Amino acid sequence: MIDRGRTLVLLLAGGVGSRLNVLVQPRAKPAVPFAGVYRIIDFALSNVMNSGLGQVGVLTQYKPLSLMRHIGTGAVWDFTGRTRGVKILPPRTGFQDSDWYQGTADAVRQNIDFIRANPSRELLLLSGDHIYQMDFDDMIRCHREKAAQITIGMMVVPKSEIHQFGAGITNAEGRIVEWEEKPREAKTDLASMGIYVFDTEYLLNLLAQDREMLDFGMHLVPRAVERDRVFAYPFHGYWRDVGTIQAYWEANMDVLRDDAGISPEAWGIRPNPRPCANMADRPPVRFLRGNHAERSLISAGCVIEGTVVNSVLSPGVHVGKGAMVRDSILFDDCHIEAGARVELAILDKRIRVGQGAVVGTGDKGVVNCQHPTHLYTGITLVGKDAEVPAGASIGRNCIVSPWKKAADFPADGKVGDGETV
Amino acid sequence: MTTKLKPATLAMILAGGRVDDLNVLTYYRPKSAVPFGGFARVIDFPLSNLMHSGLERVAILSQYRSFSLINHIGSGAAWDMIGRYRGVSILPPSKGSGPSNWYLGTANAVYQNLDFIQYHSPREVLILSGDHVYKMDYRQIIDYHRAKDADLTIAFLQVPREMASRFGMADVDNEDGERGGRVLHYEEKPNLPRGDWASLTVYCFRPRILYEVLEANARDDDSFEFGRDIIPRLMHEGRRIYGYKFRGYWGYARTIEEYWQTSMDLLGDDPPIRLEEWGIRTNLEHRNIRDCQPLKVGAGAVISDSLVYNGCVIEGRVERSIIFPGVHIRPGAEVRDSVLFFNTTVGPQCRLSKVICDVNTVIGGRVEIGGSAAVQDKEATVVGWNNHIPDGTVIGAGCTLYPQLPSEQWRTHIADREVIR
Repeated sequence: MIDRGRTLVLLLAGGVGSRLNVLVQPRAKPAVPFAGVYRIIDFALSNVMNSGLGQVGVLTQYKPLSLMRHIGTGAVWDFTGRTRGVKILPPRTGFQDSDWYQGTADAVRQNIDFIRANPSRELLLLSGDHIYQMDFDDMIRCHREKAAQITIGMMVVPKSEIHQFGAGITNAEGRIVEWEEKPREAKTDLASMGIYVFDTEYLLNLLAQDREMLDFGMHLVPRAVERDRVFAYPFHGYWRDVGTIQAYWEANMDVLRDDAGISPEAWGIRPNPRPCANMADRPPVRFLRGNHAERSLISAGCVIEGTVVNSVLSPGVHVGKGAMVRDSILFDDCHIEAGARVELAILDKRIRVGQGAVVGTGDKGVVNCQHPTHLYTGITLVGKDAEVPAGASIGRNCIVSPWKKAADFPADGKVGDGETV
Repeated sequence: MTTKLKPATLAMILAGGRVDDLNVLTYYRPKSAVPFGGFARVIDFPLSNLMHSGLERVAILSQYRSFSLINHIGSGAAWDMIGRYRGVSILPPSKGSGPSNWYLGTANAVYQNLDFIQYHSPREVLILSGDHVYKMDYRQIIDYHRAKDADLTIAFLQVPREMASRFGMADVDNEDGERGGRVLHYEEKPNLPRGDWASLTVYCFRPRILYEVLEANARDDDSFEFGRDIIPRLMHEGRRIYGYKFRGYWGYARTIEEYWQTSMDLLGDDPPIRLEEWGIRTNLEHRNIRDCQPLKVGAGAVISDSLVYNGCVIEGRVERSIIFPGVHIRPGAEVRDSVLFFNTTVGPQCRLSKVICDVNTVIGGRVEIGGSAAVQDKEATVVGWNNHIPDGTVIGAGCTLYPQLPSEQWRTHIADREVIR
């Protein structure tokens, strides 16, 4: 176990994650609910806690309210105490750096005062966007053993996907000798997970040198690889960037399977039960006579009268008599009224699907007209607080924007494949 | 200086008792800390009622195996009882300069803490039992108490006279019709009651009268119970004693059969006990149930007319049962008419019928408990905590299995109504 307080953690939680579409309209990507009771950022925060680290800064920028409420005092992750704490670091105006965060390195640079105020030997830089379990303590140990200046968490990905990542070529001792950010052609299959350990002094020097360097992967790491000791820390396990609707849906579905390699509770991932889901006010799940539930995750406070198959339900979801939910993800307090059907859909909080309405029916091949790169596999999205009127029928790859009510729907209640309300 | 923040009423919960008839369930915990409702403890009912009544200055009198209770109460934050004038104080028996002793009865427990009451100098003292399952807005009885300028106001419920021998029974007149009236006669557990109003052990006292009667009781009597000694003494003195007529659900659990029946009142399409409506809260930090992932329902699972909390994995069949966090029911197992406490595992191909199983018990494969008789024709079998029931064991109905039985105590066949200790 390393000395507590000797490693400072910075968590980048400012990204918009715009490909998550209506799910990130009311909140930042790290605050998007996941697997019923969690938020995406719980994975990074819990990994930090379980690694024995406790001095954390969370860099926010985009719609931080939901995130700030979620993190609270940090007590859930044991970030309160003499040498432990969590600070929210929003962009600030100052004498010179009076701008929004323009990139990962820029965000860190703008918080140099925080880094100096919390003296550390190493700085662990993470993203709050990923679903995984990792022991950072071991990564820091490797960093010290190799006398590295930067250590980057890296994993093998299919070569066809390498263009989305920072790619590194390593030598026999694990040192990165060549770096390409989002390469068009794959020379390697080793991809950066956006997890960095820096020697703190080294990082402060690096950031001071060239203030035009705004991004780690794009600017700082390629230069460091050329002259300094940059090592890869290999990771073998479940890791997902749930940055697209399809990836987000798949990762949720993975939790339902026993062989997918993801198990939040066994990983020691801690949700914060208080601020949003009000877990304290949720009784056990009530299964009424005549229901049918299988292959699903169902959270406390749900009432199941109808059918739930292969789905993930957050707290407080009601599935009425004769209603059916299949292959779907439902956030807190959705009400699926009697006889309604929800198939291959993601419903944000407090959606009401009226009696007999259908969400998700038709041709999966018709992509969304407005966002063809977001919705193309058949998944339909319904935004926060929307009401799908009784008897309505919503197709595949559709979007219902947040806060839409019956009057916003076409008179016949039909929303064709790929359309947006 | 007075402030409106400071509550006028001090609430005291009598939570010390062990109930012999509850047997192994109160082997290691007071009755008030017995699990109930699939996630909570019995004492959560009065605590939640107090919270919703805005009475958040609370003392808990406890002496029997208090550890589980103290753990459960924690800081009191779960019921919002933490603040400038809000809080929970646990009052165990203590030594002092005067004569001190174990609590010799409910009245003696309060008597030994008169200094605590005097320190708070409340306008009235509300004394409750921690043992009952009900929803009550205590503001109504307090309002009535104030309106009548009573010395003592007691909550009563109308019951069939044949049940009288188990309650304090009163004759209450109709001075205020449905709301309440003067207590004309009171008797503790009479065979032939003069009235049909049963005391709910909810007492609202004028503090001065409480002090006087407790002093007299301590000085003159050799029994120290509210029902048996204090109320008759006040009746004899001709004090202003009023009855507040309560008409809601009242659940009690002084025997295993009553505990089972009260648990079953949580089930059905229209259950008498409505956890969500009643706003029952528990302390999610106790046993860390806040860290649970949602309930995982497996491919072959069937769950009917049951309550199941987060942290469970259900792969078998569950009917008319209450399943607490962390229970794992393996494929092919069938659990009917049962209550399974925290972190119990039911092995493959098991058959459980009318079983109450305490925490951390591992039931091996192909175990049969409770026999095949119809549920109304048999008594519940109770399994104490931390047991490991070997594969293939057959256990009858109405059996009692003590906690933590050593492996040599197990036989392959345990007949109906046997007690294994």
